[in-house]
Amino acid sequence: MSTYLTQVWAIVWKDLLLEIRSRERIAAMGAFAVLAGVLFNFSIDTTTTRPEDVAAGLIWMTLVFGGLLGVGRTFHLEAQDDAFQGVLMSPAPKDAVFLAKTTANFALLYAVSLLVLGVFSLFFGLNLGQNLGWLVFVLGLGSLGFVALGTLFAAVSTGTSMGETLLPVLVFPLLVPMVIYGVGTTTRLIDGRPFSEVEGNVRMLGAFALAALAAGAVLFRYVVEE
Amino acid sequence: MTVVVSASAHTLGVDEAEQTVLAGSGGAVLQAAGLCREYGTVIAVDGIDLSMNEGEFLTVFGPNGAGKSTLLGMLAGAMRPTAGSVSVRGKPLLSSDTDWRHRIGMLSHKGFLYGRLTVEENLRFYGKLFGLSDLDERIPARLEQVGLTQRIRFEARQLSHGMRQRLSLARALLHDPDVVLLDEPYTGLDPSAASVLRDVLDELKDGRRTVVMVTHNLREGLEMATRLAVQVAGRFAWEGDNQGLGRKDFERHYHDVVEGRA
Amino acid sequence: MSTAGMRRGGLVLTVLGLLGLITLYWMSFFWVDTEVNQGVVQRIFYVHVPAAWTSFLAIGFAALASGMYLWLRDDRLDRAALCAIEGGLVFATLVLITGPLWGKIAWGTYWTWEPRLTLTLLLWFIFVGYFMVRNATEDPEKGKRFAAVVAIVGALDIPFIHLSVVWFRSLHPDPVVARPDGPTLPVDMLLTLLFGVLVFSLLFFGLFLFRYAVEGLRAEADLRARSAA
Repeated sequence: MSTYLTQVWAIVWKDLLLEIRSRERIAAMGAFAVLAGVLFNFSIDTTTTRPEDVAAGLIWMTLVFGGLLGVGRTFHLEAQDDAFQGVLMSPAPKDAVFLAKTTANFALLYAVSLLVLGVFSLFFGLNLGQNLGWLVFVLGLGSLGFVALGTLFAAVSTGTSMGETLLPVLVFPLLVPMVIYGVGTTTRLIDGRPFSEVEGNVRMLGAFALAALAAGAVLFRYVVEE
Repeated sequence: MTVVVSASAHTLGVDEAEQTVLAGSGGAVLQAAGLCREYGTVIAVDGIDLSMNEGEFLTVFGPNGAGKSTLLGMLAGAMRPTAGSVSVRGKPLLSSDTDWRHRIGMLSHKGFLYGRLTVEENLRFYGKLFGLSDLDERIPARLEQVGLTQRIRFEARQLSHGMRQRLSLARALLHDPDVVLLDEPYTGLDPSAASVLRDVLDELKDGRRTVVMVTHNLREGLEMATRLAVQVAGRFAWEGDNQGLGRKDFERHYHDVVEGRA
Repeated sequence: MSTAGMRRGGLVLTVLGLLGLITLYWMSFFWVDTEVNQGVVQRIFYVHVPAAWTSFLAIGFAALASGMYLWLRDDRLDRAALCAIEGGLVFATLVLITGPLWGKIAWGTYWTWEPRLTLTLLLWFIFVGYFMVRNATEDPEKGKRFAAVVAIVGALDIPFIHLSVVWFRSLHPDPVVARPDGPTLPVDMLLTLLFGVLVFSLLFFGLFLFRYAVEGLRAEADLRARSAA
């Protein structure tokens, strides 16, 4: 078991170190998040719509599109110099590789989603108040479900001739539960409703993330096999 | 210690092939039986049997598109054969048990390196994946062997192609594998880098290891090999021991084989 | 089962299904009572719901075959999954055509985010993704594995999608007062519906067997062409 964790951690550490050095994905995702906030601001006519009513939906859309931007490239980066081939030929179990890649992607997307929350509450003048902690938690669950599905299908789409363009076609239909429960929860939390009102939704978000993680851990080996 | 290497017909049944493995699993380190690999309608490897003992060095020559890399990929357990099986010290590859991966090291013309990681970080990363605990001693030793001690803090992308290939070699040998697989290791190397590679590969002939190299380059690999094979269209069209044939003579023989005259 | 056997089986099931379909049309147009609130248009229900049921049957069946394919690597299982997904796509398309026809007259709008319709639309996209993945790989073996993963994850996601679209729908007022649903259905409506489900399932398996036989012949032809080359 400790070998397993060492292997997982080695890959997570490697991915994060590469990201810190190149800042390739975090910069693109971060810039996307802020710019999306700016554009969304112009897409709302404040004489007819209150920004805080639609903010939750926009936060999650930014998360989904920004996540796609970063997660979609995760295996592309590995493909340079065939390094991923070396990882696959090591004794590290394929589920360990999947969980590690997902963890690293999660760290990245979660950081971006917190940035999104901050930027949008600034731009749209949201008062997050006493629900801030729960919002941070809910975005974490959503990000986890997203990266679990995203990492699995990024491996699929990287292996096809269509590449990253295929990724949204594959994951968007599957992500619907995450978006529905995520937006539903976030809207109410931003509105200052008590957590007990959204507890069922949060449970569903958690169940979705766990199911996606389990499915990815089992199926990943069939995707990366040559 | 008899060695049986034979090109078998595609029609060889899997059962028969498996029996061959069992019969010969006494001392053989690396064994393949009835290996086939198809990509859709393209047949890359078309029935190859192989049995290698400790200390043997096999070089597989062949023109481009003969399926050499596919053969090596299957021997490395990186590719799943369409038919047939590979085993290392009697343990079949691609079983759920991945112990055999500790016994195989592979060097390709692609380095399997992360350009943004330093020389040391690259090796440490792979060392951890292989579950090695003595990396603090092991990594300097390997770097010494390939002459990269001075570059330990350099990022891999800052190294010249020759140095990167030496780092790849250190990576491939880091976990001290019994079976070393080399896929066109000389591609793109300048003469001095090639000579370092040759020296390190020479050290591999310590009688403990089993080496398989594939190349389309007749210059390299002829001297070191104890056994030779020529792969054409997915099969071993010819194979035998290296009887110290000169390069010119072998070249003539090779062309005869490839063009179907021998 | 031999190819000839499958074709015979396919023929029997399809003929039974077609006869059943005629009966189903007769039942839904002449036999069953007109629904009180919606009137005649509600009769499309007896085609719409069985078609939806069949497309879910298809993804379940395909996911099962795909899982077994990944485990056993028998090409026949992959072909079974492919044919089931094709059938599912046909029936899901039927749902997406009949739904708006019904919706326009019953609710005054072509599209509504009614849970079953929403779910079928997403399922339709999962089916399409299955084919896109399959066709975008150079190595067919890889395409088979990728497609199998799409089918399995798609099927596992269905309960989540279903729960979420139902919950989403519960946030919005229903545009129609009464919808025939659940066990409160009058006996004749329930019978017609169940008969429709049976007929569509027969048709699905009949067409499936035909397609499966064709795929088997195609694989055999490929093999012969290769050994002749």
